[in-house]
Amino acid sequence: MSESIIQTHGLDFYFKDFKALDQINLDVPQGSIFGFLGPNGAGKTTTIRILLDLFHSKPGQVKLFGKELLQNKVEILGRVGALIENPSIYKHLSGRQNLEVIRKMVDVPKSRIDEVLKIVRLVDNADKKAKNYSLGMCQRLGLASALLTDPELLILDEPTNGLDPSGIIEMRELIIELNREHGKTIFLSSHILSEIEKLATDVAIIDEGKILYQGKLEGLKPENEIIELVIELDKVAEGAAIIKNMNYTLSEENGKSIHLPIESKKEVPKINKALVNEGIEVYQLKTSEQNLESIFLNITKKLDQ
Amino acid sequence: MNAAIALKRGISAELYKYKRTFILWFLIIGPAFIPVINFIIFMSRGTEVMAEGGNPWQKLLGFSIDPGNFLFPFFVMIVALFVNSIEHNSNTWKLIYTQPLSRVTVYASKVKIFVLMIFMSLMLFGIFSVLAGEIVGMLQPELGFDQAFDKSLFFSLPFKVFLCTMGYASIQFWMSQRWRNLILPLGIGIGGFISFMIVSQGWKHAIYHPYGYQILGLGNLNDPEFQVWANMEYVYRSLGLALVIYLLTGIDKVRKRII
Repeated sequence: MSESIIQTHGLDFYFKDFKALDQINLDVPQGSIFGFLGPNGAGKTTTIRILLDLFHSKPGQVKLFGKELLQNKVEILGRVGALIENPSIYKHLSGRQNLEVIRKMVDVPKSRIDEVLKIVRLVDNADKKAKNYSLGMCQRLGLASALLTDPELLILDEPTNGLDPSGIIEMRELIIELNREHGKTIFLSSHILSEIEKLATDVAIIDEGKILYQGKLEGLKPENEIIELVIELDKVAEGAAIIKNMNYTLSEENGKSIHLPIESKKEVPKINKALVNEGIEVYQLKTSEQNLESIFLNITKKLDQ
Repeated sequence: MNAAIALKRGISAELYKYKRTFILWFLIIGPAFIPVINFIIFMSRGTEVMAEGGNPWQKLLGFSIDPGNFLFPFFVMIVALFVNSIEHNSNTWKLIYTQPLSRVTVYASKVKIFVLMIFMSLMLFGIFSVLAGEIVGMLQPELGFDQAFDKSLFFSLPFKVFLCTMGYASIQFWMSQRWRNLILPLGIGIGGFISFMIVSQGWKHAIYHPYGYQILGLGNLNDPEFQVWANMEYVYRSLGLALVIYLLTGIDKVRKRII
């Protein structure tokens, strides 16, 4: 069993009377890429700010590396690198000088700056002023400053937010590389599920301050998966009648196609055969598994109902 | 980790970030402003200024300290704005407060740099003023700048101004740290200064007005009884106020949520 890097116990948090977090119990295993998922305003950034003690928690609520955050803050922050929301960059300084400001605070050798610039692939632009940086470069510079102390844990808040597709892919590759090759535990938040799906080993889903699911990514998929079959055919009404005779319920029937839930893909040729035997032309048979996106929507929408 | 080492790190990071900023020029050009004007006055109409005779250094001292003392609060307000807006503008409060230094250290570094900037610029003001006198003396020997004069006054008086400034400077620092808005601290600061000018016309409690300590504390240079280290109560009030404000701001900063 791997050790827990982040643990929260019954973490509550209020903004005046508004309860922003409600009994958050996180458990982030060492070596994982932990996706922290939720719609905007769910409490992701609030949680992250608490983990970094920008917002104070109550004693006993937050442990990092098995140690109480409030009592060991300086030591713990030395082992954590963070990137929070919009980039924190001194625009009048170059990328390298920005890193130098932080380097002076954390006291690591100067050579470390070149190392982190190499990791985030910013060497060529290191001496440009940061105000000329693209958003993607700003994010990578932010990541570089988070990496200066060679932390064991990286806390990244929406690291791909606002990036273009190639920037997103680059950031994703970088995160995976940091996890696999540099052995860092990564806690990252996002409101885009497909993003997390491509990266994370573990997830927690949060909505309106409550954790709705926590565990392995695979655990999100239901066991008895329901497959939806979409049939495109020429005579929709006739085909629908035939399929109904086979004891299926249709979920949708329109001018072009029929949609119906089936239990296994083995049923597809049976249905096809029945249709063809009756002289109906089948143009396309398509099955779609319920994807994580809709599972996510289902989970987070439950509270609205 | 040793607190002194931590503070040293905080300060060196704090110093480094002003590289290539307007504030560095402001800290040099600001103190040069009045000495340059005095230089021009003495060069162009030195004989008229010295028509009554006397020691030109004494004249230069008055020409330097009095307007300097009047303009200095505005300078302080701008410096206070600048050292804080550099973080507001770059969204870097959360960056510097997530580094492995205690909040007290990060906060104290900023206060120290702010105080240091004010101190340095006042000393520069002294240097520039003496320099202006020396150069005029070289170019126009007939004005009598070769007379003996205690030039340490060009530094002891600004130092007293520095001490008397600490009080309202801490208020400006607090406001600039608290609000992202630039106009608010500036407006309140200017309002504070002007309100002192008004109440000093006759209200007996004006002596407690924090924006007036440097003016009341310095006293009248032309008074034959003038002494540098008289009226010390204003220095004490100023330093006491600064201590309280910096302490309260620090406590607030340690407890506050950082966005």
